[in-house]
Amino acid sequence: MSQKEIKSLRADAISVGDNVTAMDVEVTATAVVAGAIASHDYMPMHHDRDFAQAQGAPDIFFNIMSTNAYIARFLTDWAGPEAVLKNISVRLGVQAVPGQVLKFSGEVTNKEEKDGECLIELAIKAAVETGDHATGTAALTVPA
Amino acid sequence: MTESENDPLHEELQKLVGSHISRPTQAADEVNMAMIRQWTDAFSDRNPIYEDKEFAAATRHGHLIAPPAMLQTWTMARPKIENLKERGGLTIDIDMDSPLIVLDKAGYIGSLATNSEYEFIREQRLGDVLTSEAVLETVSPRKKTGLGLGYFVTWVTTYTDQNNEVVGRQRFTLFKFDPATMSL
Repeated sequence: MSQKEIKSLRADAISVGDNVTAMDVEVTATAVVAGAIASHDYMPMHHDRDFAQAQGAPDIFFNIMSTNAYIARFLTDWAGPEAVLKNISVRLGVQAVPGQVLKFSGEVTNKEEKDGECLIELAIKAAVETGDHATGTAALTVPA
Repeated sequence: MTESENDPLHEELQKLVGSHISRPTQAADEVNMAMIRQWTDAFSDRNPIYEDKEFAAATRHGHLIAPPAMLQTWTMARPKIENLKERGGLTIDIDMDSPLIVLDKAGYIGSLATNSEYEFIREQRLGDVLTSEAVLETVSPRKKTGLGLGYFVTWVTTYTDQNNEVVGRQRFTLFKFDPATMSL
């Protein structure tokens, strides 16, 4: 990978109403377990299907740290490596389980230049076939 | 829907507002590349700011940073894998006077996370040692929902670095409910 060519968005390339480049994540048992263990979350519902089903879940499901990790990736894949994440606030909905596709979408809701950088506020959503997995807001700064 | 005002359990929980929900925890390891790489592989996050030193030095960050969403991971308690089933799947020790344990003991054994709010104040770099401290912020009056009767419990975790500077916060809301009251 030629990383020198990776582009970062600057403030003048972003407008209110712009869509964040969509991202689809295939939810697999491997992805669920890899995310849980990488975040050091050993709660059994994130790796043990029998346990998850005994708790009323259809299968193992993404832990919340995985949800936030993918939201962060979704935002910086779009804004680029110069972006600095400031916050991610989500309301949590239906679980994301293996066999589903978790679709990320977002829109710029505000833009404010200050001290040589620009604060970008966004509305974000991650949804599976069965409903919204996470909905909320996020903010990041990019160079002015 | 709010239940009657006379709720001794809610009064007991209200007294815990402002107190620790778990013991302050120092990260077992400093911010390190092995855990960062495990994270970036798990989530297929190829942002070079996490792994390419030369690239990172030329950005406004000035150096490699840890993925911001790893904030909670650095201070996760080391898990207890043995006898997990006997402990009902609980992988860590929780203080017995924690509001979550008080609710469990009163029959509100169900848990559903409803909100997560991350605030990233300063980026983590290799070698940082984080400490987290979680404090109970609010407990709702008892509510009736489709899952049963329960309480919305909100706590704020503050993350500080080795210089005792606050680097981030997370506000988290959990609905603790009694599954046996679902049909009431």
